[in-house]
This record gives sequence, C-alpha cells and structure tokens, in this order.
Amino acid sequence: MTSAARDDGRGFALGEADLSSFDRQYRARCRVQRPDRYRLLEALPRDVPRIARGSGISYVAASFGAGAVSQSLAAFNRILAFDERDGRLCVEAGARIGDVQRFALSRGWYLAVAPGHPAATIGGCIAADVHGKNPARDGTFRAVVEHLELLTADGTSRVASTAENPDLFAATFAGFGLTGIVTRAVLRLARPPASLVVRRVPVSNLAEGARALREASNAPVLYGWHDGRARHFGRGVIRVGLASDAADPRSFDVPPAAHDLPARIDPLPFALWNRAGIGLSNTLLGARWRRPGQSPLPLAAALFPLNDARTYFAGFGNAGMAEAQWLVPHARFDDFAGALAEHVARESPRIALIASKLFAGEPDGFAFDGVGIALAIQIPAPAESRQRAFLEALAGIAIAHGGRANLIKESTLDGATARRAITGFDAARERLAAFNPDGLHGSELARRLAL
Amino acid sequence: MRGDAATAIVIGASSGLGRALAEELARKGHSLLLVASDRRDLDALGASLEVAHGIATRALALDLGREADPGARIAAALDGLSPVKALLLPIGQSREDDDLSLDAAGIGQLLAVNLHAPLAIVHALLPRLVGARGTIVLFGSVAAIRGRGRNVVYASTKRALVSLYESLRQRYRPRELRVQMYELGFMATNLTYGMKLPLPAADPRAIARIVVGRLDGGSSRRYLPRWWAFVALLVRCLPWPLYRRMKS
Repeated sequence: MTSAARDDGRGFALGEADLSSFDRQYRARCRVQRPDRYRLLEALPRDVPRIARGSGISYVAASFGAGAVSQSLAAFNRILAFDERDGRLCVEAGARIGDVQRFALSRGWYLAVAPGHPAATIGGCIAADVHGKNPARDGTFRAVVEHLELLTADGTSRVASTAENPDLFAATFAGFGLTGIVTRAVLRLARPPASLVVRRVPVSNLAEGARALREASNAPVLYGWHDGRARHFGRGVIRVGLASDAADPRSFDVPPAAHDLPARIDPLPFALWNRAGIGLSNTLLGARWRRPGQSPLPLAAALFPLNDARTYFAGFGNAGMAEAQWLVPHARFDDFAGALAEHVARESPRIALIASKLFAGEPDGFAFDGVGIALAIQIPAPAESRQRAFLEALAGIAIAHGGRANLIKESTLDGATARRAITGFDAARERLAAFNPDGLHGSELARRLAL
Repeated sequence: MRGDAATAIVIGASSGLGRALAEELARKGHSLLLVASDRRDLDALGASLEVAHGIATRALALDLGREADPGARIAAALDGLSPVKALLLPIGQSREDDDLSLDAAGIGQLLAVNLHAPLAIVHALLPRLVGARGTIVLFGSVAAIRGRGRNVVYASTKRALVSLYESLRQRYRPRELRVQMYELGFMATNLTYGMKLPLPAADPRAIARIVVGRLDGGSSRRYLPRWWAFVALLVRCLPWPLYRRMKS
C-alpha cells in the first residue's frame, strides 16, 4: 500500500510511529497519516483499514492497531463559527477540549460536558461519549452535540443529528471511531456559573459516599475520592461543587495551553505507586481533603483536574496502570461495595485511586451511562498476576451486581467479559457493523472486543 | 472586525508554511486573501481566522497547475478588500519521480505551479504593490543549492525564482517595493512527514513568525533557518568529483 499511496507524490503524509495507549498496556508500531487538508484525509486507497486518531490519550488502544492506518486529526483543530447569542460552536474534530474551553470561557460560555484531560479532542469525546463533572446533571457528551459531520466507510461525507441520519448519529457516540471519521461538530455551550465553591463531605465507605452523591445530584461538579487500601477501603470525601452568585473574576482565568497536561507523559524510571507510595499519598490526600467545610473552586481547576496529575501518571513507571470503570445500579450498589470491600480486605491489591460519580442517564449502544453509581478504579502494574486477578475479580463482582463496564477505559477487558458487562452488546455491535460493513474502520480495541 | 487593515495575499494558504503564514498574519491583524486549490480547506481556515482574530478574509480556490492566468483571477478577487501590502508565495510542488524521468506533461505541471504561477501573480499584482510600497515574499529551497539527480525540475524552478528576485530588486528601489526571498530548509510539514531527513526540520510556525515579523524590513535574501547558509556554503565548496559521488 505504501508504495502505491506514494505514487500520488510527496505530501501523502504517511509515516510510521510507535504508539502506546495512555495506560501503557498496549504498544504497536503503526502507520500514521497526518493529513493537513481534506483531500488528504480522503486520499487513502479505498481498501486500506483506518481509524481516526485525536490526541491519542485513550486509556485503551482506540486510535491505532490491528493493521489500521491511524489518521491524525491534529491539523483539523479549528474553531469555525461561534454564535455568541445562543452559544453554538462549530468546531473541527481535532480541536482540543482545553482550547475549546479557553475560547468559550473568554466569551462567557463553556462546554458543560468535558473530560478532565485538556488534550482530549472533540472527535475523541464523541467517539468515547465521555462524561464530565456531573453526568447525572449534564449527561454524556452526546448531550452537547447538535450535529456532526463524518466521512463514512463508503467514502461520503454525511451530516448526522437526531433529525438527520439519527441512527448514524446515535451509533457514533461510544462508537469508538468505527462509524467513520468525524470531521466537525456543532456543540451547544452553556453559561458557566459566576463562581464555584466546593463543599467537602467526608465519608467512611463507598455506600456512604453513594448516599452523599445522590443528595447532591444537581451540583455542577460532583465526584468522590476514596482510599483503596484494605484497612481504609472506601474512606474518602465527596466533593460537591456548588454554583455561587458571588462573581469572582479569577474564576474564568484558564491557564494557557502550555500548562495543559501533555498527551504523552514520560514515565518515571521507577514506580512511585508501590504500597508505601500509595499509603503516603492517600494519607496526605485524606488529611487535606477529608476536612469538612467548603472553599472556593476556580472553574479552571474544576474543568481540568488532570493538569495537576502529571507526576501521578508518571509515577506508574514503565509498567503503567489500568483503570476499570463500572456503573452499578443504585439498588445493588451497597451490596456491590460490600463485596468489593471484602475482596480487597482478603487479597489486598494495590489500588492507587478510586473515584465515584453519579449517573442518571439511559444507556445507548456501548455508552457508559445508566442510573447508578460509577466507580473508576486505577491500579498500578496490571500485568502482575495479583493485580490482574483483582481486575478480573472486580469485573465478576460488578457483573454479578448488574454493573456496566466503560469499554473505552479498561484495556484488560476481554471480549467475553465485555459481552456480559454490556446489556445489549450484540445489538450495539450490529448497529456499528451496519455503518462499517467491511471493517474498514478498525483498531486494537475493536479487535480485542470483537466489535 | 478589523476590516480596514492592510490586505496580505497568501498563495498556497491551506497547508504547511502557507497556513502558518496565514495564521501569523491574522494574528497581526491583516485582512487576508487566501488562495489554494481546495475550497473546503480555505473556507475552514478563513472561518477560523475570522472567529479567532476578527479579521476579514476572502478565499479563492485556484488550481495553479491548470489556471492560465492566476494573476488575473487573484487581482479580480481583491475587489472590495483594503489595499494590498504583502504578497507571499509559499508554493512549490515536488514529485518523487522528478529524477530526469518526467515526461513533458509532468515537467509542465511542475513549471506551471512552481514558476509560471509566481511569475504571473507577481506581474499581475505589481502595480498595486508598488503603489502601496508593499512587500513581495518569494520562497526558494535548499534543494536548489546545487543541481542533483533528484528534484531536477523543482530545483530548476526554485533557481529561476532567484532570478525573479534579482529582477525585482534591480527594477525597484526598496522605498518603492520590498522584495524578500527565503531559501527554506527542511520543514516539519506533510511534505516531510514520514521521511528520514539528514538534518532537523523546522516548525513552520517559527518560520512564519520570522517572515511576518520582517515584512516591513528591507529587501533581502536569506536562508531559513539561518544555519542552512552554512550548510549551503559547505555544499557549494565541495569539489565536483566529491559532489558527484554523493547520493542524489
């Protein structure tokens, strides 16, 4: 293919690169195309497998692998139109969330649903149907997209919205790039709160945390942090970000792009997150965060919490990390949390972080949504047998309690487990396949889960 | 919208250095006429620059390889825009098979884009630029330092642009027209992505900042990045028998 493609002359922008998932659990040497014009985006020979690539910060290998050419959308990062009256923003798919938020906030608007990593692209947010600071209040990313344009497998450019090509529109969210290359989208922005204060609600376990989350369901920012150590399992704090009418001019001071968490973080030569490191870190964080009370929360800190996490991610070292996200229905959450606590007490896995969030949506396709409490659990060195066994046990406990997995987060999940972890897996798979009949769009994630 | 700012014309504005120049000029508040072959790219670029910088832009989709009189089309597209102060021509087409094996059509295509178009555009816009004491910016290439068995036609056209630069400078004094020419080294664009380059590739945005920053400077011809002047000197000084043995 390479020589044939290059017959078109220089400027085809095709090269090779070593790519890695953000969690460092999958690496591959891949062909990468870096088009900077629309016709180059369309120039790959018709039969060449491909997958869109944004910033490449997916925890799993969603934008490369399986012999596909990764088509970088980095050059398609422009803000194309903005209606200041109603907050509609037209943007190319390679635009980064951090840049979009900076643009919007400077004009008195913001994107209410956004992931914590500022390098995430709009196309990536659509492909993963990410959630933001309080999915129970704001929904997932599909809630802020009015319509989108994508290059589909038949080589045509299509517009999709709830009114036009609605099936394509629905399948593209949490479609992991398999319905085509999203090129641009129109987003609905919201007015940000004048300022935020964060109320800290200490909790002694996960069930108590879930109750605190439910009681604050309408807060613009709502999440929990929990200790994952066996002796203190689930102890933590629920952070409730509340809108305040007191105007704080510094609230909209968003750091420049140079302060953004980079897409690629070089690991430290040693792992910080051994038992001693995790213990020290959790003790310090607990002492700092578990004090009841409230304090001002700059909007930038709320929108980009990962900007301060560079050392945290580097600290996983070369062995990397894994994240498991499970959404468990309210009715079964306390039992789930109890079973998980028992398992952790028995096996004592190393858990670097547990975060909790409240969800109140309707799951569609592979989307990570539903009505319940979601836990994100990050562990170091998932290739180690004890750590791997914990992830497997966690999946078993979660599935037994009606849990739903976030496929875009966990790189160790196998296809069979994913089938049990997603109600309607086969229907969702068939819907994707209808827009990708020859498997033109593919990735390691799609291969691993047989999507 | 800063609609009264002087207009700059960027030929080949949709990618690489052309896009970087357009972005830098917009940042400085210039109105822009953007010229490239695909309207989709031009519309996206123009829209983004208008949103980000509040400038006026106009797009002209033009295939320089087929257009008989690109200068006339560009001149016509200027109607209604503020006076032209700068014409930048970061254009150049190269081919893998430009190695003394091209047929006449292939040679003609490269000549059309790399030489006929700059000549025709400069000729057509000269009266406006001279009247406004404007600046013409030509872009050569280190490929033209010394003839090789590759990039044969491409390097010939870039060498010819040096002659155009000299003609313009001979004809017009700097107080009438500024003429600037940059001999560009490798740049990190889609042209070089995936290629193994013997020397580092420059960021087009850094090059654009230098070029736009010097628009009001005097006429001159220089290498960018500047260290390429040293490389060029070395290449020119190589004894012919040794140069002949080098991989082309």
